[in-house]
Amino acid sequence: MNTLTAREIPHVDDHAEPGFVRKYLWTYDHKMIGLQYFWTALAFLFLGGGLALLVRYQLGWPNTSVPLIGWLLPSSVASEGAIVPGGYNMLVTMHATVMVFFVVMPLLIGAFGNFLIPLQIGARDMAFPLLNELSYWLYVLSGCVLLAAFFVPGGAPGTGWTAYAPLSADGAYNGTRIGQSLWGVAIFINGLSSIAGAVNYITTVVNLRCPGMTMFRMPLTIWALFITAVLLVLAVPVLSAAAAMLFCDLNFGTSFFKPSGGGQPLLWQHLFWFFGHPEVYIMILPAMGLASEIISVFSRKPIFGYRAMVWAMVAIGFLGFVVWGHHMFVSGMNIALSAGFSVSTMLIAVPSAIKTFNWMGTVWRGSIEFTTAMCFALGFVSMFVIGGLSGIFMASTPVDLFVHHTYFIVAHIHYVLFGGSLFAVFGAIYFWFPKMFGRMLSETLGKLHFVVTFICFNLAFFPMHNLGLGGMMRRIADPPVYEHLKQLQPLNQISSVGAIGLGFATFLLVWNMVAALRRRPDAPANPWHANTLEWTVPSPPGHGNFPVTPTVYHGPYEYSVPGMDQDYLPQNQPAPEGVRLAAH
Amino acid sequence: MRTPVIAFVAALVCGSIARASGGLPNPYWAPGSVTATGAKIDVLLNTIFWLTFAVFVATQSVFVYYLVKYRRRAGVRALYSHGNNRLEIVWTAIPAVIFLLLAVVGNRMWLDITSGAPEDALKVNISSYQFGWDMRYAGADGKLGAIEVGKVGLENKFGLSPDDPAAADDFTTMELVIPAGRPVHVYLNSRDVIHSFYVPAFRLYQDAVPGRTITWVWFEVDRPGKFELACSQLCGTGHYNMKAPIRVLPPAEFDAWYAEKSRAALRARGGPPGLAPRVASSVPSDNAP
Repeated sequence: MNTLTAREIPHVDDHAEPGFVRKYLWTYDHKMIGLQYFWTALAFLFLGGGLALLVRYQLGWPNTSVPLIGWLLPSSVASEGAIVPGGYNMLVTMHATVMVFFVVMPLLIGAFGNFLIPLQIGARDMAFPLLNELSYWLYVLSGCVLLAAFFVPGGAPGTGWTAYAPLSADGAYNGTRIGQSLWGVAIFINGLSSIAGAVNYITTVVNLRCPGMTMFRMPLTIWALFITAVLLVLAVPVLSAAAAMLFCDLNFGTSFFKPSGGGQPLLWQHLFWFFGHPEVYIMILPAMGLASEIISVFSRKPIFGYRAMVWAMVAIGFLGFVVWGHHMFVSGMNIALSAGFSVSTMLIAVPSAIKTFNWMGTVWRGSIEFTTAMCFALGFVSMFVIGGLSGIFMASTPVDLFVHHTYFIVAHIHYVLFGGSLFAVFGAIYFWFPKMFGRMLSETLGKLHFVVTFICFNLAFFPMHNLGLGGMMRRIADPPVYEHLKQLQPLNQISSVGAIGLGFATFLLVWNMVAALRRRPDAPANPWHANTLEWTVPSPPGHGNFPVTPTVYHGPYEYSVPGMDQDYLPQNQPAPEGVRLAAH
Repeated sequence: MRTPVIAFVAALVCGSIARASGGLPNPYWAPGSVTATGAKIDVLLNTIFWLTFAVFVATQSVFVYYLVKYRRRAGVRALYSHGNNRLEIVWTAIPAVIFLLLAVVGNRMWLDITSGAPEDALKVNISSYQFGWDMRYAGADGKLGAIEVGKVGLENKFGLSPDDPAAADDFTTMELVIPAGRPVHVYLNSRDVIHSFYVPAFRLYQDAVPGRTITWVWFEVDRPGKFELACSQLCGTGHYNMKAPIRVLPPAEFDAWYAEKSRAALRARGGPPGLAPRVASSVPSDNAP
């Protein structure tokens, strides 16, 4: 293997305890940058969740004053405490933008990506520490720009997170020219942050693996993050370009997307979804990686079909770039193209099915321990199955004629993005919190968090399938104005009750974390008896991660190897005399 | 841990059976389909529903069974196995075949649905705007008159050409009135941003894109009734309430309504009836099937 290893990087280390600013605010340590992402994204999670609850309140009990916090809402959003239709559009738009770009991506890729990549490949840090920190602050900056939109004349953008032109491209149509422009700027800066991070991850994974860490000995987490980084580098620049064009249409009189000046509204959709569909996988692949890790550890079994798992993710990465048109079957795009995109979309379901079967194969004949992390990881698989199956409806072009742009798709995306990505994130928090902070989280509180989250999640999102098939459109502020939706209003209320429960359940996690952080450090180096390299160093790991650069002897999932007393074999320990490891 | 989902699905199934016995055609509370294509789509929808439902029940129950059966027990060690390539091939091939079959079946139906309206279809030009709908009918001559973008205004919402005799009897309404049992061909356009034509009982959604006319949309409603045309593409502040009534009339009643509207339009424009139409149909089309 002809790669540069961490050992060859010149190492400058003053070993002095850095001050507050150099430790927490401007640091080059990937672990601290990961934690910066972690806390910032969690703050955004509560913001995005709060916006969602306002949306759900309006849908459950339209045009009534929002209890408790109604008076706080800006006049562009609510009047006398009741949400107005334009304000509803703003809430929907900001909720989705915050959740996609400021919660799920930063949590999966920024927080866990940063924290885990060097630790799991045996590197001292990322390849470009300065770029890494810059990427975090660009993310913070883009968040500030986005939130500023609430306080400008006209208010926040209300064109949906998809910002379809020409509504989004002309202040005369959307009434929020400044807010929409800020949205474009925020997306652009956020894109810079993503690209910087992705370049860093790719370089790190390719070049900084420790001796013995071949590509096919990497944990699936790293494979997932690596493929995700490649997708980011290829997809995000397209969105950045589209956002810049949108900004010009809004402010400089260009007509990229405005037919009045010769532009093409569908061009926006093609650019947006060329980014947007890989984006869906950008948000689920790392979650698959995290869940795979947790499921293998708590089944005490090697991951079933490691190579199949890797190739399935590679296949998803490739196919992810040729399915964007399935968002546009009925957009006015050539209808023969729709048929083609339907085929590629059906095909991309295959690798997802493969992964599901392999997770089931992993728990099969395992020795399963139901820790909170494991419960969330198993919940992830279960919810991902539902989200995957509901996707088949929309992949079928004729059925899409019926369910397109209804609550069915809202149910689908939330089963994948919340039941999928966020469940995996929650599981990962319970799993890696000891490594990140040196403290164990309470299992009792954790289980309670899981049970309440699981029930409320399904209560909130399952009825949306029925709402969609019952003909409820997305993004309408007041469903009962339609005759056929009046009878469905109880479902909307059930969903809202579930959402409120889901919101409160998340405070259990915060309580758990705060309580743990107030305790003295109590986490051993390897509380779960796991194999990957981060568990071979103290919790939390010191500066530079590894006192001695580790050497890796085998793959990451050697659990319950016959002939050994202990049921795990860390990657930096060779198999004992006389014990043969099976090829994977 | 998975009991809530299973309970939910069980409730859904029981509820659906109860409702189905009450005469509703599907197990998931969708409004009954009233078009011929809608009935075809429902067959596919039902197929996919029962297929995914079977897969859902099978995977989740096997999963839960494993979780219970292989829970940690003292003295029982997990199996050391990295997988099974034959199994991988099986569970790659079977879904691939099923998904491709679904794609083929779906696309055949899709191409059939979008393959163009019957010649004798009633032509309606539907124009969407923030936040409402205008309908234009061809009038007694059965020809939609030429339109000129420059003529669009409050008095002439479609920009009907004063020079085209086919336009003389075109009339506009703010509700969609159509006959039962006869195909209706919709020419869909937008005057500002993207809107969409959505009627759940018709199983029909199509975006209306400014700067072009969508010409493939047609449907045939099989019974008289009242429906609502909904905009289902976020189009601004008033989006949530951008709707228009749809009245499906018995054919004879519709013909009477149509003739009266057509005569009134001619009278209003002062033109003589019976002029030979010059232009067949001048609706701009860049999306003809």
